[in-house]
Amino acid sequence: MRRQGLWIAALLTPAALTMAVFVVWPMLGAFRYAFFSFNGLLPADFVGLSNFVDVLARAPFKAAVFAALWHNIIVFVCLMLFQNGLAYLIAYALLKQWPLHRVHQVIVFLPVVLSAVIVGFLWKLFLHPLFGLVNAALALVGIHGPPWLGNESTALGSLIFVNGWHFLGMAALIFLAGMQRIPQEVMEAARIDGASDGVLLRRIVWPLVAPAVTIIFILTFIGSFNWFELPYVMAGLTGSPGGATDVLGLVFYRTAFGSVSSGLQDFGHGSALAVLMFLFIAVFSAVALRFLRRREIAL
Amino acid sequence: MKRFTPGAVAVQTLLLLNGLVMLYPFVVMLMSAFKSNAEIFASPFALPESLDLTNIHRILDETDLATYLANSALITASSIAVLLTFGTMAAYAIARYTFRLREIVFFFFVAGLMVPLKLAIIPLFIQLDVLHLLDTRLGLMLIYVAMGLPSTVFILTGFLRTLPGELEESARIEGASEARIMWQIMLPLARPAMVIAGIQNAVPIWNDFFFPLVFITTDSRKTLPQGLSVFMGEYNTDWGVLFAGLSLAALPIMICYIALSRQFIAGLTAGAVK
Amino acid sequence: MNAASPARRLLLATLAAAGLIASAPARAGDITFWTWRQEDRAAYTELFKDFTAANPGINVKIEAFEAANYNTIVSTALAGGKGGDVLQARAYGGLELVAKSGYYLPLDTTNVPELANIPPAALAAETLRADGRVYAVPFASQTLGLLVNKEVFAKAGVTPPTTWAEVATAGAALKAKGVTLIANGTATPWMDEIFAAIFTNPMLGPDFVADLQTGKASFSDPRYVAALTKLLDIRAQLPDGFTGVDYATGQQLFLSGRAAIFAGGSFEIANFRKQNPKLDLDFIAPPAPTAGAPQYVTRFFDGGYAVNAKSPNQADALKLVRYMATPAYGNKFASLLGNISPIKGVVITDPLLAKVSALGDTSMPYITLAMFRFESPTGSELMSNAVQKMMGGTETPQQVGDEVTTGLAKWYKPFQKN
Repeated sequence: MRRQGLWIAALLTPAALTMAVFVVWPMLGAFRYAFFSFNGLLPADFVGLSNFVDVLARAPFKAAVFAALWHNIIVFVCLMLFQNGLAYLIAYALLKQWPLHRVHQVIVFLPVVLSAVIVGFLWKLFLHPLFGLVNAALALVGIHGPPWLGNESTALGSLIFVNGWHFLGMAALIFLAGMQRIPQEVMEAARIDGASDGVLLRRIVWPLVAPAVTIIFILTFIGSFNWFELPYVMAGLTGSPGGATDVLGLVFYRTAFGSVSSGLQDFGHGSALAVLMFLFIAVFSAVALRFLRRREIAL
Repeated sequence: MKRFTPGAVAVQTLLLLNGLVMLYPFVVMLMSAFKSNAEIFASPFALPESLDLTNIHRILDETDLATYLANSALITASSIAVLLTFGTMAAYAIARYTFRLREIVFFFFVAGLMVPLKLAIIPLFIQLDVLHLLDTRLGLMLIYVAMGLPSTVFILTGFLRTLPGELEESARIEGASEARIMWQIMLPLARPAMVIAGIQNAVPIWNDFFFPLVFITTDSRKTLPQGLSVFMGEYNTDWGVLFAGLSLAALPIMICYIALSRQFIAGLTAGAVK
Repeated sequence: MNAASPARRLLLATLAAAGLIASAPARAGDITFWTWRQEDRAAYTELFKDFTAANPGINVKIEAFEAANYNTIVSTALAGGKGGDVLQARAYGGLELVAKSGYYLPLDTTNVPELANIPPAALAAETLRADGRVYAVPFASQTLGLLVNKEVFAKAGVTPPTTWAEVATAGAALKAKGVTLIANGTATPWMDEIFAAIFTNPMLGPDFVADLQTGKASFSDPRYVAALTKLLDIRAQLPDGFTGVDYATGQQLFLSGRAAIFAGGSFEIANFRKQNPKLDLDFIAPPAPTAGAPQYVTRFFDGGYAVNAKSPNQADALKLVRYMATPAYGNKFASLLGNISPIKGVVITDPLLAKVSALGDTSMPYITLAMFRFESPTGSELMSNAVQKMMGGTETPQQVGDEVTTGLAKWYKPFQKN
């Protein structure tokens, strides 16, 4: 038993130590800012929870924070349904090893390797109101497309779509890895019993890929609430147009770091917001994890 | 091999369509690499007017591409190697053993996924300074390892904990050491998950230019995205050059993935053995 | 941590051998200059050559950073006691934030006698209001107005508009030829702030600025709301789907002659000329509300050169900054970079820049920057966001004015009395 304890400790130590030195310790230093007022870039006075109250309940943060939170929720739900839903179907199609499945597997995944800068700029071209390919295609069938990224009602949806394009492959791959672990006999047996693909997908595959679902759900959840890069590249720090694509990641970033041409660095409030976001995400993830894992164990 | 029902044909068609939507932006990206800003904005989706190599030449002339590429490769490869080693070890401990603080240790790692490390840029800077790691590739690498550990541990734990226990038990009865069980029996089964965790982290590390911008100032230690940020001007970004550079930058990682995608086939057969 | 421990030294040596770390000893006589102008590296190299010639033994190493992340890079390095010896600094609120933190060395005529070469208005932009001290040597003034593609106008037989009435007629005449009058869209927020300033300033006039200072007026003032209402008319002159047209597209529409005017700053001149050397470029003041009324351009100062308070090479750094405040530097700066140096005695030889400089005599301040970018929420954040909504049709001019005023009242004392 003692030896096993040492073995476990040996396995855990390198990772835990690296995390402690380069994430936990600096992060604690940064979270400390949340309790201070700032004079320029230097912490000045200890102000207790005042920054937290500002962020949650006072102008100008309150309106922005809650509007952004709502957008984050929309993003999460849409990504779960559309991006991950499609990824699930694609993974199943790939699992069937039809002709060209290797090619499809590579293609679906390729966008994942691109940086957000490239993805954002490419899709800005595609969605452009003047020369974008999307509106040109719509014009062929007589539809005058909106300026997708400039219209308050279509901007967020467009960003979600682009995010789906970018990361569909990652979700598909995780599902695929999960599906490949389902023993062939199980699938064959179900097939012999006359189960259609639809039934297989719902009754057999879905419960059996529970571990993959857990991973995807949690990664999507955390990713949606920390969403930053793509909206930053495509909609700017204020979530153009008029805050229609504003999300918590952007609010946090522009509060903490300001921007060249409009805002000022404010580590106090930025850090308070970061702490709140962390708590929010941590609590929900912990609850979700518990629930999702029970699903795995129930098998 | 499956037979072709109308449904299967429909699915194939959809897959092909999907493939088109996935691939076409890459075509635009590659074409843009041969265009000037003016041409990109005048006819973004047309073939380039000529196979103009100006953009590539500018990258070669104005930046030290070979050095940046080598640095990026060194940093990304070493980060991923260390990351997967440390991450797999930790994930294996959490997934395959029961010990008192297990849940807390697991959440300690997962919590790392939820914090915006950029906020800690000043404490990190001071930390690196104290450790004499400022302006070094090692410092950058350690930050990437630390940043990547949470998702690596999370993904690998998820896969490792669902591996069947019988193999492990029978090996234990035969007297195999814990290390041997881990290395020879369990880890080969987790290869697809390791590929996923590796790629999930390799891409952001490869593409990151924020941390190098802050921590690396010596030209000979700069990374590729950092080096290419030269073309992002205050009022004008040279998109053609950036596309050329970033397309080049995307190539190695694409090739890596295509090579690694075989692992999934390997994983499949490993699963079938069970 | 014991720096001398043999194990540690061995570790460092191993790592150094592995190519992962390396120590770079700073050479004596080297100072570093940090800038966000990556595109100006060649010009600065040229400028510093003169400095080294006059000060043998002091070499200046240029570190150019990506502009959008420059503030973060600099504040991080300064907080860690590092950073360049001489740093390009922002103006107004951006300067104050860093100066307040004690990271810049205060400058005065004892350590930089050449400050006498610089007009007070320019120095004010680099002054911390709280202590009244100057923290940077200003490098350029920028003028906001209309950049004009003369060839497009000539081809269409139209003259550039000087009044709002002419904006409508010129716009219609150009549209008939398939050309858009104004290239700008509203998808990039910081450009919306500039765009609004350019067109509203001639309608507001200096009295309005004085009233903002005393609190007699706010942005809810009928004058401001009327100016914004007028601004809505300009939507007819913008590209199709302008809410989705961003800064980069606007630039390209102008450069390719698909639009005749780009509302922007003098900082675009060098950039536009470089991208399209054949461009027949002019710079004019924005339209006046009525014929004969003054056509105010908007003028502000861009930034300055500051000395790192913790620089180990402070004496040399000060020498460099002194050089950067001389007319000789200003002249060469202006001609190499196509920017207007504020230093007295600088002669602008480029005819277009000379014209811009002359237009600057009839100018208004860039209100949201020069008066309201000192604390959060900044006037700039509030204005750019609200104007973007207004142009998109989801907010009225009155709402914009009220929103900006309420936001600023949080810290701007004169608005609190209202």
